[in-house]
Order: sequence, then structure tokens, then C-alpha cells
Amino acid sequence: MTSMPLSVQSVWACSILSQLIALTLLLLKRNASKIPFFTAYIALNLCQAGFMLVLVLIPTVSPGIFARLSWLAEAITLLAQAVATTEILGLTLRPYPGIWGLAWRALVAVSSLVVLILVWVSHARGIEQVWFQLNRGYHLTFATAVIACLALVRYYSIRVPSAFKMILAGFCLNSCVEVLVNTLIQVLFHKGYEVYQAAWQIVGMISFVATLTIWMVALWKPFPVDDRQIASPSDSAYRRLSPEINERLREINEKLLRLWKLEARSE
Amino acid sequence: MTYAFIALFGFAFLLLILLAWVLRAPKRVSRPDAAVGLTEFSDRTHVTFFPQIKQALAVQDSVYLASLGMNALANRVRKERRKIALAYLDCLRNDFQRLWRLGRVISSMSPQVGTAQEFRRLQLGSAFSLRYEMIRIKLLFGFAPLTELGALSEVVSRLSIRMETAMQDLGERAALSAKLASSLDGRGLDVS
Repeated sequence: MTSMPLSVQSVWACSILSQLIALTLLLLKRNASKIPFFTAYIALNLCQAGFMLVLVLIPTVSPGIFARLSWLAEAITLLAQAVATTEILGLTLRPYPGIWGLAWRALVAVSSLVVLILVWVSHARGIEQVWFQLNRGYHLTFATAVIACLALVRYYSIRVPSAFKMILAGFCLNSCVEVLVNTLIQVLFHKGYEVYQAAWQIVGMISFVATLTIWMVALWKPFPVDDRQIASPSDSAYRRLSPEINERLREINEKLLRLWKLEARSE
Repeated sequence: MTYAFIALFGFAFLLLILLAWVLRAPKRVSRPDAAVGLTEFSDRTHVTFFPQIKQALAVQDSVYLASLGMNALANRVRKERRKIALAYLDCLRNDFQRLWRLGRVISSMSPQVGTAQEFRRLQLGSAFSLRYEMIRIKLLFGFAPLTELGALSEVVSRLSIRMETAMQDLGERAALSAKLASSLDGRGLDVS
């Protein structure tokens, strides 16, 4: 049986409680059907906690196997996190298919760049460090990609429901804190993984509890009905707006054309 | 090793700052479904004043004044005309920014935003900013960069032409959809 400090156990219990509240809110407020992958992500996190509990309670599990299985469970939840985030971003940008097309390309480009940089700067020694650095690399890539997408959303002045914004902010905050803590702890305690394991677990879990608190606030109310629509032919505002802008652009154009013709003649 | 850690730490910290920046409420939200403050995109473009600016920056007047022995007046005229050219340059930038914002609104309204088009617009924006700064520096140092000023005006005009094409595309698509919807209605089909 792998021992766990009491402080880690307490924060872990808080984390599980927060996840349960978040899942309950998702189901009670009928938001689960709107964001099924996010709901699955929260449920997977709870499953992961249960799995870890079982591993802790089994006396025959060696620390090596415990670490490997823990990292495997973590990898699955991280994959679910990426899917849940894509779901939220997709919902945000669904009314704008063109911008969504641009966003996913930006996402791929930024992620590839970060992965390349991370491969270049990372020098892992031993399997523990490999897992550790993979985890940090994932969080860094994830946070960069989401922030790039949010920047694009801001650039195009797209209205994002505040609940979605809070969920994405929570994901990003958690990832950024993970990277900061991982890096700081690795620098401060470079004696080995075992030394800073407890501190890393506590800070990581506290950050996750903070993220869950943000999500609980976001999930407190049912999500509003998405009334965002791109301008359609039936949209009177668009029909009024489109020819008006077009007319003004044509006027600018004609003036410019006259100017160029004048310039050409004078030269 | 330490440099890599510092870089990683700095990058993560930068990401947190960026996160705060992207999440803060924008000063003014452009709503694609509303009338986007059309007064902002008024028809008063300053490109039309380019011939006057060209004339103001021409050396003939200064040379003439200097030939009459009015060097002080020639200098004053040059300085004042330079100020006017700088003001024109600022106005040109405002024209460009208005068109730029309009392009962004059109993009958010359009269901098909071409990636290549958007990159071209970014490229155009960078080129404009670079040229703007170059011309501004030249004017501040007393040169009269007429060719560059002309090129900058051309960038504004090219952008407006592109905007028109984009708007035409949108208009055509909207008209096509409306036509399709009305023909379906005419046959008594329920398309909902």
C-alpha cells in the first residue's frame, strides 16, 4: 500500500467533494446535455479519484506500478480535458464556421510550435521525469492553444457566454498553475522526484479545487439559450446593414478611382 | 537546464497575463447582429486630399521663397506644411483602422471566412503599420516621402476594394438564400 500524507489526503478529499458538487450542478441544472464531453470529463475525474483510492488501499501494489497506473489514469483525463475544451470552443464558434476553421488551424499551428520548443528544451532522466515533463508539456501546449483561440475570439469581437468563458478560464488557469508549480518545484527541489512529490500534489490539487470553484459558479445557473446567429437573409438588421456598408465602400472606391485616374494623367 | 526552467516559468507567467488580457471585457463590443455604428464608417476618407498634400510637400514653393531671400518664411512654411502632412498621415491611419474594423465585422458576419484572406489582411495591416512609421519618421526628420505616402494611400484603397468584394460576396450569398427560401415557400414546403 502506498502511503499518502494527511495533508494530501485532505486536499484530495476537498477535490473529490468539489467534483461531486460540479457534477451534481451539471445534472440538476440540465447543463449536462448541452456539454456532454465536459460532463464526461468531470465524471472521468471522479472515476480517476476512485481508481486512485483503490490503488492506495491495495496493499500489494508497489510504488512503481502505482506511479505508472496513476500516470495512465492522468493521461486519460488529460485527453478528456482536451476533448471537453474543444467542445466548449466549438459551441462558442459554431455560429461562425469560417472563424472556427481559422481557429482550429491556429490551434494546430500554435500547439505544434510549443511542442517543438518543449522537445528542444526538455531533457528527461528516468521514467518519472519523462512522465513529469510530458505532463508539463501537455499543460503548456493546452494553455497556449486555448489562449490563442480566446485571443482570436476577442479579435473578432465574438460574444462568448460567461459560463463558457469561466470554464475555459478554469482550464487555462489550472494548466498555467500546473506548469508554474511543476517548474518551480523542480528548480527548488532538484534532488529528485520523491522529495517534491507531496508538495507538487498538494499545490496541483489546490489549483484544481480553485478551478472547480470557478466552474461551480459558472454552472450555478442553467446555460442561456444560444441566440447568437450569423446574419441570415431573414435578419432585417443584416439586410439593412449590408447594402449600406456596400454603398459607402463603393463611394470610397469611386473617389479613389477618380483620384488615381487624375494622378495617372498628371504624371 | 536553469535557462530552460526560467524560460518555462516565464512562459507560464506570460500565459497567465495573456489569459487575464483575453478574458477582460472589451472596451466596445462590435455586435455583428446589430447596426455596427455605421457613423463610424463614414464616407469622409482623407485619401482624397492626397493631391493637396503632394503639392504642399513639393519643394518648388520653398525654393521660390528662398530665391526671394525669405529663408525664415521658407522654413516656417516647410514646418507648417510638414505638420499638415503629419496630420494627413494620422487621418490616413484612422481611415485604414476604420476599414480594418469594418473588415473584422464583415468576417464575423460571414459564414465563410477564408483563412488565406484573413492572413492577407493581417499581412496588409503589418505592411501598413510599417510604412506608416517609416513615413512618419521621414517627415519628422524633414524629408518629403511623396512616393511612400502615395503607396500608403494605395494600401488604404486596396483594402477598401477588398472590403467591397467581401461585401458583394455576402450580398450575393444572402440573395441566393432568400431566393431559395422564397421558392420553397412558394411550393408550400415546410423548411423548418
